[in-house]
Amino acid sequence: MGATTSTFVDSVRDRAWRAFDWQLLLFVALIVGFGVVMGYSASFNEASQPAGGISQTVKTLLWVAIGFTIFFVAASIDYHWLTTFTAPIYIGVLLLLVLNLVIGKSLNGATLSISVAGLDFQVSEVSKVLMIVVLASWLSGRREKIGRLSTIVGAGILMGIPTFLVFRQPDLGTALVFVAILVTMLFMSGASIGWMALLAGVVVAVSPIAVNALAAYQRARLFCFLNPYADPQGACYQLVQALNAVGSGGVFGQGLTAGRQNQLGYLPVQTTDFIFTVVAEELGFVGGLLMLGLFALLVWRILVIGWGARDALGSMVAWGLASMLLFQLLVSVGMVIGIMPVTGIPLPFITYGGSSMISLLFGMGILESVRVHARKQTF
Amino acid sequence: MADLNEGRFDLPRSPARLIAFAVTAALLFAMLGGRLFQMQVVSGTLYADRAVAARTIEMPIKAPRGLIFDRTGRPVAINVPSWTVEAIPADLPADASQRDAVLARVASSTGAQAAGLQQRLSAYHGSPYDQVPLVRGITRDQALLLSERAGDVPGIVVQVDPVRQYLDEAGKVDGSLLAHVLGYTGPVSQEQLAALAEQGYLPDDWIGKDGVEGSYESILRGTYGSQQVERDASGRPIKVISTTTQAVPGRNLMLTIDARLQRMATDALTWGMRAAGVKQGVTIVMNPQTGEILAMVSLPSYDDNAFATGISTATFNTYLQNPNQPLRNHAIADIYPPGSTFKLVTGTAALQEGVTTPTQLWPTYGCFHIPGAPAGQCLFDWNHAGFGPLNIEQAFFRSSDTFFYQMAIHLGIDRLAKWAYDYGFAKPTGINLPGEASGIIASTEWAQSQGRPNVFTGELAQAGIGQNVIAVTPLQLANAYAALANGGRLMRPMIVKGETDRSGKLIKAYPPTLIRKISASASTMQLLRFGAREVVTSGHAFNIRDVPLPGALSGKTGTAEFGAKEQDGSLPFHSWFVGYLPSSPGATDATLEVLTFSYSATVPGNVSTEVVKYFFQKYFNVQRDYRLDPRTLSLLGGN
Repeated sequence: MGATTSTFVDSVRDRAWRAFDWQLLLFVALIVGFGVVMGYSASFNEASQPAGGISQTVKTLLWVAIGFTIFFVAASIDYHWLTTFTAPIYIGVLLLLVLNLVIGKSLNGATLSISVAGLDFQVSEVSKVLMIVVLASWLSGRREKIGRLSTIVGAGILMGIPTFLVFRQPDLGTALVFVAILVTMLFMSGASIGWMALLAGVVVAVSPIAVNALAAYQRARLFCFLNPYADPQGACYQLVQALNAVGSGGVFGQGLTAGRQNQLGYLPVQTTDFIFTVVAEELGFVGGLLMLGLFALLVWRILVIGWGARDALGSMVAWGLASMLLFQLLVSVGMVIGIMPVTGIPLPFITYGGSSMISLLFGMGILESVRVHARKQTF
Repeated sequence: MADLNEGRFDLPRSPARLIAFAVTAALLFAMLGGRLFQMQVVSGTLYADRAVAARTIEMPIKAPRGLIFDRTGRPVAINVPSWTVEAIPADLPADASQRDAVLARVASSTGAQAAGLQQRLSAYHGSPYDQVPLVRGITRDQALLLSERAGDVPGIVVQVDPVRQYLDEAGKVDGSLLAHVLGYTGPVSQEQLAALAEQGYLPDDWIGKDGVEGSYESILRGTYGSQQVERDASGRPIKVISTTTQAVPGRNLMLTIDARLQRMATDALTWGMRAAGVKQGVTIVMNPQTGEILAMVSLPSYDDNAFATGISTATFNTYLQNPNQPLRNHAIADIYPPGSTFKLVTGTAALQEGVTTPTQLWPTYGCFHIPGAPAGQCLFDWNHAGFGPLNIEQAFFRSSDTFFYQMAIHLGIDRLAKWAYDYGFAKPTGINLPGEASGIIASTEWAQSQGRPNVFTGELAQAGIGQNVIAVTPLQLANAYAALANGGRLMRPMIVKGETDRSGKLIKAYPPTLIRKISASASTMQLLRFGAREVVTSGHAFNIRDVPLPGALSGKTGTAEFGAKEQDGSLPFHSWFVGYLPSSPGATDATLEVLTFSYSATVPGNVSTEVVKYFFQKYFNVQRDYRLDPRTLSLLGGN
């Protein structure tokens, strides 16, 4: 058996596992644990929970178990193995996204998931991590051509197609995550800052057109972001309820499962996009800061791993994952504290959802692999 | 080493860009943390207040309604819990067949019709989170059973509310004994609500309707408090946060009515009505000294408990369609010709206006020719024979119609009317009960309002004996005789004696009110009181004189035939008797007065006198039965 196909058990025996990054695992595990507790509280009073059915928390624990299994499997495999599959992965992502558009299950007007054997599979969640791998693989192959405009154009096209497909679902949030990943990875890869700045200027120039292209509900969200208390009973009702909930948390919060806004059903989709509202209301400033601190440690650890990676592929994966986490954190937390417009983006590891959990832990597993295989010979 | 590092630095690694990334990330965390600090620590209270304000509403705290006691402290109107089955449409099963199954279960455990529940539910068009009443007034056991089976009936709740319950003199549930006095409570109507919302009435509120419940509504209701209640996102109240103002319970009332006397009067009247085929009857028992009403019976009665729990349309229609109008208090709301009892007014007027002296003799006739009328037209005396010459006292106790025709004609209509007004006629007595009628006293003004210069002389003559153009309420008549009995003080009839504590002890007495002193001289009234005594000793009420009573019963009868003809062509008989009980003839110390009016009997003779007699027998616990059968005029009790 070659190293690329070595199993976890083989690898554990391997001296290379001494490099295993326990800190990464610890921070991820703490955030996941935090998320399970918050998910429990958010769904505590949910009347829609079928009596005798599997509760959301049990489901989450199941996803976590599957996710960590995948984490360790990914960690044990040399991440270079992924580069062999770059093209099939990319084609697979595009096919899934097209498939999602055609047969996807509709939720609140947007087709976000494909149902397989009764389980909802959110293609866009999985595609984020996979596109990081694809982009990292492509960029790391650019070598001396990295400073050229073609790098930016090529990466733009590579990322642009799935971004457009996701945008058409419509899932503006994930599309924006794709853009954030693209920009960060280009920046960190050494792409020309001049060209990037020029293109950014063009994007800003055409942004009024983009606002026009937004759906009515998206424009309303933008309006509420600018002035939430202008229409607290109408379009901005949910945002205002969320802002009130966050503020009511105070320093120490109202206590787990005791947030009035949460438990009385005033928060929209409180187990998913608005999960941070529950954190802020029930655990207060202290809890919010704890969560942000855990994320800061995790991001710091990812940056350490990226900088210490053996090669550009490992680094680029790290930058991609770090930017994804940061951007999702920024939007998901920022929207309920009034510094970002409301967009449906999950809070990593904490928002309820199997696809998100599994793909994130898969991404963390790759990072662990980058760490484990940093000094390892591939032959 | 070259091997090891091959591909390792395949892209340029820029510490500057990493630092830029790290700094951006740090700034981002700082921004999120800073904003969180600002929202939660600095302005936390502001948001918390906003959140609380957005999810709380002001809700009323209902005040318990005041209780009502009779004059001896017996509770006659109390509050009891009533269980109502209600549905929350939003929580009912969405599936139609499952929903029907739930309603069927509700129907079987409450004995209601499933179809009726369906109807009530589909007739409701408000918020699906509201509670829709399905079955009112289920028993406590049914309520417990339903609560135990809550799992089988999703969306069904049992609500307990206080409702009124009316009791009789023995403390038993009886809605008919005091129905007309107490009235009832019912849901506030849309029209009422428009006017009352400002006073804090709620759309699902109950309000006193009719009787004391209606006229003392503001005292019995109390003042609702208010509280801050937290709601969930769908609007359901979850918990009370704070009480803004406490509810003030309604004040408790003591009636002037003695429920035991009310029962005696009811039983006596019920007997008389059955015995004589009377369709409507009234008995009023009062204290002439104070105007306190001790009993007020109007038959047929209705069940006010049926209203208190939400009356069914069928029952309500039965009441409405009954030609004898059980929902009306005939004692105050309806007017009838007083007949010979009105001779009190004509006699007072004739003496005071100098038409006759006390001793002056007047001829009486079998049939009196009205001056100016065509020959052959005359008005009969009641015996069609006349009594020979009579003075006014004799005419009063013999009740000579032709005597009083002459008095009326000499008085003229306006001088007669003036004295009628003095006795309180043509105006509500002011008893604190809703729906009191004014009555009709003919006068020039009245005639002109009818479009003629004045009343005809024939009408004037008949007015003198309380017929044709005179109509009074039984209460007005009782009150006029009370003024005679007490020496000339016209008192305002009282139905509520005062306010009590929760146990029925009087804590605040309402004082009796004098309307006016009758302006007739003492000697005039004394003469009429002697006349009233002679009515019993040798006049029309002579068959009551054998009943042993602790006093010198005095009074006046009145009879009339009028109204719609019966099938055999005869007119129905109506009769009055009003009697009071002074210590000696002519004394003004009577504290007991009884009036009975029987409307439309099928037999001649004064059944009202028999009813009053029966009441006295009960009241004074007379062992022997002196009643006469109104059909045969033979003693019921035998010798």
